[in-house]
Amino acid sequence: MDYFYSYLILAEIYVLLGLSTNLLVGVVGIFSVSQAAVFGVGAYIVSDFLLSGTLSFLPALAVAAVACIVLNVLLTLPSLRVSGDYFVVTSFGIQLLATAVFTNWTGGTGGANGLPGVPPPDLFGFPLEETRQILGFTTVAAGLGCLAFWLSMRAPYGRLLKAIREDELAVAAAGKDVLRAKVSAAALAGAFAGVAGGVYATYMSFIDPSSFDLDASVLLLTMVVVGGARTLAGSIVGPVVLLALPQLLQLVAIPTTVAASARQLLYGVLLIAFAVFRPQGLAGERL
Amino acid sequence: MLLLQLLVNGIVTGCALGVVAVSFALVYATTRIFHIAHAGVYTLGGYLAWSLLAHGVPEPLALLGAMAGCTVLGAAIQHFLYAPLERRRATHLIVLIASLGALAVIQNLIAAVYSSDILEFTIPWASAVVTLGGLRLTGAQLATLALSLAAFVGMLWFAHRTLLGKRIRAVASNPFLAEITRLEPRAVYVTVIAIASAVVCIPGVLVPLDLGLQPYGGVTPLLTATIAMIAGGVGSLGGAFLFAVVIVVLQNLSLLVMPGEWSIGVTFAIFVVFMLFRPRGLFAAG
Amino acid sequence: MSAYLEVSGVNQRFGGLQALNDCGFAIAQGGITCMVGPNGAGKTTIFNVITGFLRPDTGHVAFRGRRLDGLRPQAIVAAGIARSFQNLRLFVDLTALENVLVGLPSGFGEAPLGALFRPFHTARLDRARRAQAMERLEHVGLADRAAEKVRNLSYGEQKLLTVARLLATGAELLLLDEPASGLAAGALDQVMALLRRLQGEGKTLLVVEHNTRVVQQIADHVLFLHQGHLMAEGTPAQIIADPALAEIYFGGAL
Repeated sequence: MDYFYSYLILAEIYVLLGLSTNLLVGVVGIFSVSQAAVFGVGAYIVSDFLLSGTLSFLPALAVAAVACIVLNVLLTLPSLRVSGDYFVVTSFGIQLLATAVFTNWTGGTGGANGLPGVPPPDLFGFPLEETRQILGFTTVAAGLGCLAFWLSMRAPYGRLLKAIREDELAVAAAGKDVLRAKVSAAALAGAFAGVAGGVYATYMSFIDPSSFDLDASVLLLTMVVVGGARTLAGSIVGPVVLLALPQLLQLVAIPTTVAASARQLLYGVLLIAFAVFRPQGLAGERL
Repeated sequence: MLLLQLLVNGIVTGCALGVVAVSFALVYATTRIFHIAHAGVYTLGGYLAWSLLAHGVPEPLALLGAMAGCTVLGAAIQHFLYAPLERRRATHLIVLIASLGALAVIQNLIAAVYSSDILEFTIPWASAVVTLGGLRLTGAQLATLALSLAAFVGMLWFAHRTLLGKRIRAVASNPFLAEITRLEPRAVYVTVIAIASAVVCIPGVLVPLDLGLQPYGGVTPLLTATIAMIAGGVGSLGGAFLFAVVIVVLQNLSLLVMPGEWSIGVTFAIFVVFMLFRPRGLFAAG
Repeated sequence: MSAYLEVSGVNQRFGGLQALNDCGFAIAQGGITCMVGPNGAGKTTIFNVITGFLRPDTGHVAFRGRRLDGLRPQAIVAAGIARSFQNLRLFVDLTALENVLVGLPSGFGEAPLGALFRPFHTARLDRARRAQAMERLEHVGLADRAAEKVRNLSYGEQKLLTVARLLATGAELLLLDEPASGLAAGALDQVMALLRRLQGEGKTLLVVEHNTRVVQQIADHVLFLHQGHLMAEGTPAQIIADPALAEIYFGGAL
């Protein structure tokens, strides 16, 4: 049962990340392979505060969310200035740079060895140590994230973002502030990723750069593509399905040495297959 | 002396990445596809050459064999992935995602077949050192310099002097016009990607002679190459090559003041500076 | 007294091409002005300058006596000038009604904080906006297509929808880029009647149009652009009767 709970907890954390990536990729239409970098920044900030004892969990989570809002806005700003293809370069560059920082800045991140012993999350002094307690907390967090996404999408705000994805120039000609809308979407996506990072670090109690590298960003992108763009259902289905897949891979007898590449290979195949045959994903709209 | 050595090392590797940049720029200018999977073709080239050498094939033939393999892979990506997507009127974003998917498939197939550890080439002449007035150059570096410059000159000659090259530039400047004048853009696209794949195999084999092979090793060179293409101005093959050399030289010189792990930061900083001040590149046409 | 819209001394170069060359003209309030001229005369370019999508190398645009220099497109819409595009630029994955909704002036719930923290207020106001958008659709005769995705609308319906989206902005000066091109006779009459009706409701229209029959039927005043410069202006009859202009306009074709 604990095994199933831990799957649910991870799935809920990745639902937050899926919402974040879907906002950028699916709703605003920006190609991003750097959301795992923002996720990582959230995780390291919360871990550092908790390990040094300077802040307790909820304030640390709030700081991480604000930092990731600022970071994601800065990262997305180039997409306002340069064309889509140049943003691909920006996004790859940011992800590789972030990996370099996570791996080499031993002072803040523990380097390649990572940070062990991150304390469990606590709410106003009550530590959440049991898996079921943490599940309760992640369920609330993911639920709030889903509610925020759903409210945004059904409001005029969501309509404006969808219109921007289709034709920025026409939106500007209709008298709208395209810049402000895009920046706010990036901020929202940053908040989701930052909170997900903080919760992830405290649940796992150990983090290292491998959870926040290019492969992790590709996984997030795959979740959006498989789940489907712009819908709440798609943002939930993607993470739930993709986190279950590695468990299925374990049923097939694959030597452990190639397990990681087999998993990434599967993500690549899924990206291609959905791009060609089902650009709307399992439960979304066309990318 | 260290400065000079770093400068020379930078120029040598820069020429190799210049070839990556020029081949990528040729694809991008013609098809407008941001061909991320090109990094996978680059990586495959090195592994194919390694396998052929391991089976006792002589070096020049191993290079040619690897180039043939890359040509087939590149053409296959265009024919079986990009062309169907275009027929389905896929958005630009979907083509990018598919290209990223192709890169992931290539990289991880390589990792599954060869393992994800670093593979070293063992070629005696490549590690032999020539000393030129205090400068140390390996055989691999000399080969890299010579073959990269030859590949670059060959690409320029091809683009400007051959009929196919002129057709490609016509398609690049106006696909619609090319279509109604029966230049058949689609056939041209396959040819362009095939040629670019053959060419990118050359640095794909040469760079790992020194550094070794790694399944995921193509991403950083491709990033450098795309930055060089943008900084040089899309459409200017010479600009792309020149900026690849400049970026790699700056990366190498940065080793004087910071450890090598941060060179990606140097590369990226150059890109950010260009985006802020010259988003259309230095030699942009039109 | 200053004109309603006044363009003066606008120059715009693109590389080696002088797209606008000391371009200047004025438009009176309340009429339909048609802008004609051969391809490449700079008609769309001057639209881009007036609506803030292009900053001209030199020259000014003034609206109701107020200079618009350097204003961003959204500020120009707020000042009362909106434009349509020759290639429509509708949001094809959204419904007809949603396209018009995006055109309406910004309201509550278009920023994330309002949408997130006052959802019921947002929903209530959005219902009111939907009613408003529906009126615009009725205005152009598309009310029964409101829930249809734009990609499923006919070309004629899409053209009408661009006018509805343009009307939604509330602008009083409407710049229309070839609203009648590519339409069959029936749809053409529908669009011309609509433009006349808008004029009757107090809108001022500046229309780029190639079809001389349309120009004759709707224009109060005609501007003739050639090589980025205002070459002549007058009533439709005057412009059409001028053999020198006809030579420029049809010279290539005849």
